[in-house]
Amino acid sequence: MEAVLLFMRMSRNAARRTARARRGVGPTGSRTAEAGLRRLLVLSGELCPAAGMAGRGKLIAVIGDEDTVTGFLLGGIGELNKNRHPNFLVVEKDTTINEIEDTFRQFLNRDDIGIILINQYIAEMVRHALDAHQQSIPAVLEIPSKEHPYDAAKDSILRRARGMFTAEDLR
Amino acid sequence: MAALDLRAELDSLLLQLLGDLEELEGKRAVLNARVEEGWLSLAKARYAMGTKSVGPLQYASHMEPQVCLQASEAQEGLQKFKVVRSGVHAPEDVGPREGALRRRKGPTKTPVPQSSDAPRDPLNWFGILVPHSLRQAQASFRDGLQLAADIASLQNRIDWGRSQLQGLQEKLKQLEPGAA
Repeated sequence: MEAVLLFMRMSRNAARRTARARRGVGPTGSRTAEAGLRRLLVLSGELCPAAGMAGRGKLIAVIGDEDTVTGFLLGGIGELNKNRHPNFLVVEKDTTINEIEDTFRQFLNRDDIGIILINQYIAEMVRHALDAHQQSIPAVLEIPSKEHPYDAAKDSILRRARGMFTAEDLR
Repeated sequence: MAALDLRAELDSLLLQLLGDLEELEGKRAVLNARVEEGWLSLAKARYAMGTKSVGPLQYASHMEPQVCLQASEAQEGLQKFKVVRSGVHAPEDVGPREGALRRRKGPTKTPVPQSSDAPRDPLNWFGILVPHSLRQAQASFRDGLQLAADIASLQNRIDWGRSQLQGLQEKLKQLEPGAA
């Protein structure tokens, strides 16, 4: 809260200095305005940690066919560098079920992944691993694919929700 | 009286769960529509650029995420997700850096632009001038990511509500074993 108040005070001061600099008031008007803007940008980086290098949030992983993975990587979720494993898997015709399951389990064990997006037809191949996952993080989201439309009856979350209500409970 | 309070609590929890399920169904339909729009746009881009021009062969060898998730815990065991877009660029300084009078002493050294810490736009993997359909695909999938975060939060809320419901039903059975 204090940081937010400081940010508001600094932005107000920076706006005043900028206005003075525009009017040409004082020899140091433009320099103080620039310095104020730089301090403001540093502080805004601290308030919005995702915009800076420090305090990055969790990632979104994707396991899907070529178009699904390409699309979500276009959206900006991809991470790949020398030290870290990728947070995506393109499932092709020759991808084995063991590879899919291993990748899925790796994503579950990573603590920097918040959501796993997976095509529903691929989720069917590793349904036992999905059903065994009961934690809230990472959340597993089943999405349709081009050849296989979304079927709510197969979704793990909705099947668990359907099992909530029995005839006795509703009496 | 305790049983009555429990029943009232059960009813409100059940109503909330049903509302969440309805909301989840609505958001799922929108997400599926966005993803399908994205595939169609990708297919149009592939038609314009070539079959092999839009695919895993174009992925960069080094990627940094532009989109991150902020997970917050609202109540005990209840996680909420929010999509945050990184890569905010510092505003460029427009206008002369020096005073109004410029001294002409040969070519002025322009300041070397600092390498931006912002991650590179994935659109650049596919070339400099990309077709509009590829940008549309990116917009569709970005919308899909926001919806995915909302759906994940809803799913967590439904799971949490389900466990609360089961707990309350157990308590009710203990209080009123005859009604069970």
